[in-house]
Amino acid sequence: MGTDKPPAELLPGTLDLLILRTLLVGPMHGYGIAARLKLVSEDVLQVGESSLYPALQRLLLKGWVRAEWGASENKRRARYYELTAAGKRQLAAEREEFARIVAAIWKVLDMA
Amino acid sequence: MIHWAPTWLVYAWNRLRYRLRRDRYADELAEEIAFHLDRKRQDSPTPPGAVDPVRRQMGNITAAREQCRDLWSFMIIERLVQDLRHAARAYGKTPGFTAVCVVSIALGIGGATALFSLANALLLRPLPYHEPDRLVRITGIYPRAGVAFFAEHARSLETAAISSGSEFNLTGQGAAIRLFGSYASPNFLTVLGVSPALGRSFAPGEESPSRDRIVLISHALWKTHFAGDPAAIGRVIRLDGVDRQIVGVLPAGFAYPSAKVQLWIPCRLNPAVFVEYWGAEFMPLVGRLAPAASLGAAQAEAHTLARAFEGRFPYPMPRDYYAAVTAVPLREDILGDVRGRLIVLLCSVAAVLLIACANVAGLLLSRAATRRKELALRAALGAGRRRIVRQLLTESVGLASAGAILGVLLGVATLSIFKSVLPASQPGLEAASIDWQVVAAVSALALAAGLLAGLAPALSAAQVDLVDAFKTGGQRATSGFWTRLRGAMIAGQIALTLILLICAGLLLATVYRLSTVDPGFDSTRVLTVPISPNPSSCQLPAACIASYNRLLDHVRGLEGVVEASVANSVPLDGAAPTLPLEVEGHPTTPDFPTPMLWLAAVSPSYPRMMRIPLVAGRYLSESDGPNSAPVVLIPESTARRFWPNETALGKHFRVAGSSVWRTVVGVVGDVRHYRLAQALPSGVAGAIYMPYAQSDAGEGRIPAAMTLVVRTSAPARDLAGAIERLARDQDPNVPVGRVQALDALVSSSISDLRATMLVFVSFAAAAVALAAVGVYGLMSYWVSQRTYEIGLRVAIGCTRGGVVAMILAQGLRLTACGVAAGLLGALFTTRYLAALLFGVGATDLVTFAAVTALVAAVGLAAAAIPAWRAARIDPIRALRAE
Repeated sequence: MGTDKPPAELLPGTLDLLILRTLLVGPMHGYGIAARLKLVSEDVLQVGESSLYPALQRLLLKGWVRAEWGASENKRRARYYELTAAGKRQLAAEREEFARIVAAIWKVLDMA
Repeated sequence: MIHWAPTWLVYAWNRLRYRLRRDRYADELAEEIAFHLDRKRQDSPTPPGAVDPVRRQMGNITAAREQCRDLWSFMIIERLVQDLRHAARAYGKTPGFTAVCVVSIALGIGGATALFSLANALLLRPLPYHEPDRLVRITGIYPRAGVAFFAEHARSLETAAISSGSEFNLTGQGAAIRLFGSYASPNFLTVLGVSPALGRSFAPGEESPSRDRIVLISHALWKTHFAGDPAAIGRVIRLDGVDRQIVGVLPAGFAYPSAKVQLWIPCRLNPAVFVEYWGAEFMPLVGRLAPAASLGAAQAEAHTLARAFEGRFPYPMPRDYYAAVTAVPLREDILGDVRGRLIVLLCSVAAVLLIACANVAGLLLSRAATRRKELALRAALGAGRRRIVRQLLTESVGLASAGAILGVLLGVATLSIFKSVLPASQPGLEAASIDWQVVAAVSALALAAGLLAGLAPALSAAQVDLVDAFKTGGQRATSGFWTRLRGAMIAGQIALTLILLICAGLLLATVYRLSTVDPGFDSTRVLTVPISPNPSSCQLPAACIASYNRLLDHVRGLEGVVEASVANSVPLDGAAPTLPLEVEGHPTTPDFPTPMLWLAAVSPSYPRMMRIPLVAGRYLSESDGPNSAPVVLIPESTARRFWPNETALGKHFRVAGSSVWRTVVGVVGDVRHYRLAQALPSGVAGAIYMPYAQSDAGEGRIPAAMTLVVRTSAPARDLAGAIERLARDQDPNVPVGRVQALDALVSSSISDLRATMLVFVSFAAAAVALAAVGVYGLMSYWVSQRTYEIGLRVAIGCTRGGVVAMILAQGLRLTACGVAAGLLGALFTTRYLAALLFGVGATDLVTFAAVTALVAAVGLAAAAIPAWRAARIDPIRALRAE
């Protein structure tokens, strides 16, 4: 699709973070999330359905997102996911943690 | 939605919610994914004819669905439920197999439950005394002088004597009754470390003659005879004509020296009464180790003191009477000869449990073999090896649990049988019951048995090679190891069965021999009634003699009475009246001490009435009265022992310490006085009959307590009531025991042996049944594995007879291995039974041969059915099936 390189492997544990961040924009259905991730990351991050939907179920179970059926753009029934207050708090916490780890990794990579 | 709750709680709650609506969520997920796919196709359309890249790109949607489904479920529990459901369905399809497995395990567990309870009560539970590990028994028995000697000299121990007990008359409390009591040193409760439940213990110094008129009573006696009234303390009761004040009640459950004992009387120490102090009753000694003393020190001291005491006897004692004295832990002493029987019981139960386990494992193995195809299919559909092993283990543990439940019920019944095998007075036996500890232990055992029985088949199944299993139709693909293991298990099972059967056979032969043994008297239509006046009432022998003669006259007047007499004891009634007698021409030395003889003080009519044959001389006659020349009868064996080469008639005996010689006027047939298996107790040299009017039970006294013996003309039970009434009317202060037929007495004398035999026979029967099932199972398995091979053999000309012979030979080989191992084991085991046997040796050839033949026959019969089935294998079908 747009790049020569194949889609990148996701770092383990980051999928939840990416989904939560994507939903910060507003309620979205599963396909929307995948499409948006692909678009924003300029085709670097491609999430397969086989990992997306189990991840969404996990987030639902943890109470970080909630889901509701609604009508999609082409009038079909679709399930829209929305961030909960707990989800927002989790996003903030995970984001901070992620930044800390990335900074740490950079420090290691840049050392003299 | 609860936003403020901690994440883990929300997670758990949601999982539960989702689990309940799992199917709806699954549908929603499917819809969601379908929507996703459609949108994807819209965004990147595929040229017609090409493989749908969306589908291909999509990844494993089934895996995603499964993953979600797992998220909504509680997999560990759900898999277990699933496994159990599957197991139940599988078992429902094979009810015969299931029943055999469950019953096998139930038999094993039942036996184990009962034995655990017994061992728990007798072996594991500490003695109910303070610091029971510090308590010892000093071996040997000692006269009262010895009690005083040990109390004075022992340094590493505090010692106390407690006699094994004898009967006492309780009078003046309504109808006179007979109680069982022990003489005990005043410090016996201190030594044991027990305090009375009520009142006080004996005080130091209460063994002195003026202060010993006191008694302690058991809790049970207090409840039954004193209505549990605290005012019983201080009451004066009359025991054997002596007034004694009750000073205390012992705690419930106190049972030393045995559960029979109802009262404890201070053991009077009075050197002035020579016979009581030096002779009369020899008593056991118990001791508590001094705070710093070790068992070794106590043993050495006990030995030294006993040897020192030996030199003090004022009359010649047998040489080295106390040579082997030592101190043993009290627990060991209490277990005593029960230990032998416990070991025997333990072994038989362990054997049956092992057999049951081996059997179930074997059956599961052969089942696993027939299920090979099913398992291979499951493996092909993605079931992991661990999943299959777990499924098989769930099945076997489920089976074991069902068996365990049945087994606990069976155990309750078995325990009551075990209790009947052991002496009822055994301390601690009463308390043996199936409690939660035992049930917990049994549950653990069931789990272990289930895992054990399931492990071999499960591992063998896990080895299944998929391709191989499908290719060969699943019949020939297990490694030889498991088959060989199974063969070994079955052979071991046959060996254990053989050992049990031999034990049962030896006991059966013993009981049979005992039932045919000639007791030396005729017990048909003879009634016995113990009558026990106080010993003091016979201080004037004439009064006692007259009283019994009066009773005899009355009884002889009853309709249906052929003859009546009295005797100080009747054969096999459990008493052992012995008396030291000097024999004319046999001077006593330390190497030949005064012989102890069994004393039969009887009415002159007794020997004739009991139909004891006369061998030489004459019977006793009514003219052998108190004032005529003293005469005695002796049995043949006694005559032979003292005068092997000449006639005993006209020879003389005299009671040790007396000057009156008594003349032997007749020799009669031998009688089994003590037990059917043993005419006289060990250490008793013979027996002697004295006319009651002339008798001397030691110290010139005639026996007071006698048994009325009546021969009736008809088996009239109603005579019993009349006789008992007559006896009671004689003197309301004299306790009269139960009327018992002599027949019943004789048969009950071997009742515990009969019960032991019954235990063995039932265990052996169970073992034989289990072994037959085991051999049958293995041979069927073997045949089913070789269907192809047998078909081939038949196809190339092997006869049906040849096939049958081949299978039978295989079965016989297995049986032979088992029998050989079993015979070897039996040679080692049966010696533990030797003490119980009579008339057969512990290695009796006939029993060994008969049992071997039986086991071989059972083995062959069990192999015959699979052999017959093999002979009917249709070669065409067998070959085509592959």
